[in-house]
Amino acid sequence: MSASNGLRLSRRSALVGGLAAPLVLAEGVRSGHAQAINKERVILGMTQEPVQFNPLLWVNAGTENIPEVCMFDALWDVDEKGNFIPNLAAKVPTRENGGISADGLVWKIELRGDVKWTDGQAFSAKDVEFTYQSIINPKIAIRSRSGFDFIKNFKVVDATHIEIELDRPYIPFAWAWQNMHIVPQHLLASEPDINKSAWNAQPVGTGPFMLKQRVAGSHMIYERNPNYHRGAAKFRQFIHKFVPDQLVLYGQAKTGEVDYMGLSGVPSDRWGEARAMADRDLITTPQPWVQFIYFNCAKPQFKDPKVRKALTMACEMQKSIDDVYFGTYKRTQSYLQPSHWAYNDSLKEYTADPVGAARMLDEAGWKIGADGVREKDGVKLKFTCSTTAGNPARQGTQALFQQNWKKIGVEMEIKNMPASVVWGEYTTKSQFDTELVAWEPTVGMDPDYTARAHSKQIPNKTGMGSNYSQYENAEVDKLLELGVTQANTEDRKKTYARVQEILAEEVPFAPQGGTYQGNLKKKQLQGIKPTGYTVNCAWNLHEWGWA
Amino acid sequence: MLSYVGRRVLQSVPLLIGVSIIGFALMHLAPGGPLAVYTLNPTITNQDIERIRIVLGLDQPVHIQYFKWASGMATGNWGYTFFGGRPVLGVILERMPATFLLMGSALSLAILIGCTIGVLGAVRRYSVFDMMATSGAMVALSFPTFWFGLMAIYLFAIKLGWLPSGGMYELGEEDNLLDLVRHLILPCLVLALVITAVWSRYTRSAFLEVMHQDYMRTAKAKGLRAPARLLRHALPNALKPLIALLGIELPALFSGALVTETIFGWPGMGRLFVDALNMKEYPVLMGMIMFTALFVIVGNLVADILIALLDPRVRLS
Repeated sequence: MSASNGLRLSRRSALVGGLAAPLVLAEGVRSGHAQAINKERVILGMTQEPVQFNPLLWVNAGTENIPEVCMFDALWDVDEKGNFIPNLAAKVPTRENGGISADGLVWKIELRGDVKWTDGQAFSAKDVEFTYQSIINPKIAIRSRSGFDFIKNFKVVDATHIEIELDRPYIPFAWAWQNMHIVPQHLLASEPDINKSAWNAQPVGTGPFMLKQRVAGSHMIYERNPNYHRGAAKFRQFIHKFVPDQLVLYGQAKTGEVDYMGLSGVPSDRWGEARAMADRDLITTPQPWVQFIYFNCAKPQFKDPKVRKALTMACEMQKSIDDVYFGTYKRTQSYLQPSHWAYNDSLKEYTADPVGAARMLDEAGWKIGADGVREKDGVKLKFTCSTTAGNPARQGTQALFQQNWKKIGVEMEIKNMPASVVWGEYTTKSQFDTELVAWEPTVGMDPDYTARAHSKQIPNKTGMGSNYSQYENAEVDKLLELGVTQANTEDRKKTYARVQEILAEEVPFAPQGGTYQGNLKKKQLQGIKPTGYTVNCAWNLHEWGWA
Repeated sequence: MLSYVGRRVLQSVPLLIGVSIIGFALMHLAPGGPLAVYTLNPTITNQDIERIRIVLGLDQPVHIQYFKWASGMATGNWGYTFFGGRPVLGVILERMPATFLLMGSALSLAILIGCTIGVLGAVRRYSVFDMMATSGAMVALSFPTFWFGLMAIYLFAIKLGWLPSGGMYELGEEDNLLDLVRHLILPCLVLALVITAVWSRYTRSAFLEVMHQDYMRTAKAKGLRAPARLLRHALPNALKPLIALLGIELPALFSGALVTETIFGWPGMGRLFVDALNMKEYPVLMGMIMFTALFVIVGNLVADILIALLDPRVRLS
């Protein structure tokens, strides 16, 4: 039985209700519907609960971003258009403003001088230096050092100036700092073990809110920081509430018990209902993940790019989105969401074309055998497709593609496994035939895709990277190497447009759709800006307010 | 009696050690691990993961990890969570009151109603009431708890708006007792519904068995009235299996109700267990396994002692 069926009122539920009704009436309780908006506070509801409030140590993006954005700041943020905007830094370094040297190796960062930690101490370059030292400290369980490992030299010039020298030019370096918020040196430097510090549960930051109370498993209450350097928040209290069941959280968003429903969003099959609510807004937000069919290019069936393209061509991609995901995903031709600044708009749709697919396989020499399955040189066009077991939407997608492929003489067997198995060595050591998987870009939301598509990033061969499809193309390698050194956005756009063009032709991974989340908010809650550049639905919390 | 209790306590030590070894081994044998959460993140390199493995001590052989954990436990150090670095004992203790409240109220309510229905059903066997109670219990046992939970929320929180749909407090009303009761009603009733069904069935069959014994007929023959026969003769004998059942259910006071707590967002042990399981938080899982094992042992010991007190034929020696 699906959970969605569970919400239809039946005679049985009325019976259950009948049993409980006298007790409820005896309580004489007030109505949940009549709740007026308390404009002194905003309640954000999510299905997951953060356990780590130290911005250096969190693991669960989306959930643990919330304590981070409440209590801490990065040097710069990224806005809804994908531009970096200064936060603790006075300006974002670029070649034009002299922040990045002509050779791209030296980054000069100027910090704001008016920022204070919520305990009253002044924020300074020492804090940024301490944050960097913590990140490279092998004894601290930092989730990622990506980008920071290119730092050759870190110099504090004075209280508001830093100079960083890289060992190679690397434009996505800005993303490394965007992803790491700054922690206070004066409170943490003396901690013997930051991993187990009591400070992690009651941190002090520079952010727009301060943690006042945490009720484990229920909610966290934050109070406004009146001295916030970007202006004090427009409401006194921010409450992060945890409701583990998605349908129940949706119910609370409807009754008004939460003002804003974030992660995991309104269930796909309820978007129509949510859109129709007069006093609510459904905010559809692109998420960084694009769902793909991943081909293992080293397997004999998939060595020829024509086979991969023909298989992609046969798939009814748009139908899979409409039928399985209720049209909530957006069709994309690339590893980026169509809303991304570097997305190549000129890529043409070529899927849902079984005739063309069959012709292409014929041309490539794959002929239909006696059993109805295509073969070439003794290799059958027969393979497995794996993903996380127990995900009905993904299973539905697999079943549709299985039918699509069967029509052109290709046999696919569904072989799903628990998440910790399928995404373990089965993936990282490229043991799969094909997989249905949703992945985000590799350096923040930068279009760089080196880790996934460069031939030196195949873990089976080089022990590093995440090019699990084992795809190799010399031109793509060169373009990816060029892309991370280009400071001019237009130049980069061209480089990555060509990368996307080649990938659409050779298809090491066939994009199905970009994932979207439907967040639900009360109409009067203003300032929320949906963005595809972070999974943090409260990234601009300091700008929110009630109308 | 004291020496019996002392012996049982001593016997429980190797039992607890055995439970901890099996629990620890099973956790590490299961595929995946706490680092799986990092493997899908493209910005996290293999080197990053290896470094975190060392920091968390997961690079050491399993038996060394076990001895480190066990020696910590022996000195009262329950370890620290992998994610968040908090003391495990604190993480468990902060969830305990919520679970005690929910399970305690649901169990008491369910036992009270369940036993009443069971006794009445046994006394008036095959009556309309008995048949309704039997079919009601079957319905309650057959439907999954989450269905009842969602139905209750749909009806009372969303359609009628009488009760909150989840959580333990109205935000900012943490000290308001009436508010707590309002939040407790739905999860308590949903949970009690199923437990009531179980207890009514057990009580009915325990009483039925007793009521056809010779001594009951003798009691009737010597002219005792029905209430006296039930209270003085049937009840003490019928209670034995029920006390044993209580002993088995006592650990639930600690372990909580996974489904009900999740549906109603009740911040108790069940939720903690689900979250810890998803994250493969070994230290928290081990802590909870040990607590539960302890409660099982205590529950059974208490049941045995109670039975001995009730029945002079049972000797604790």
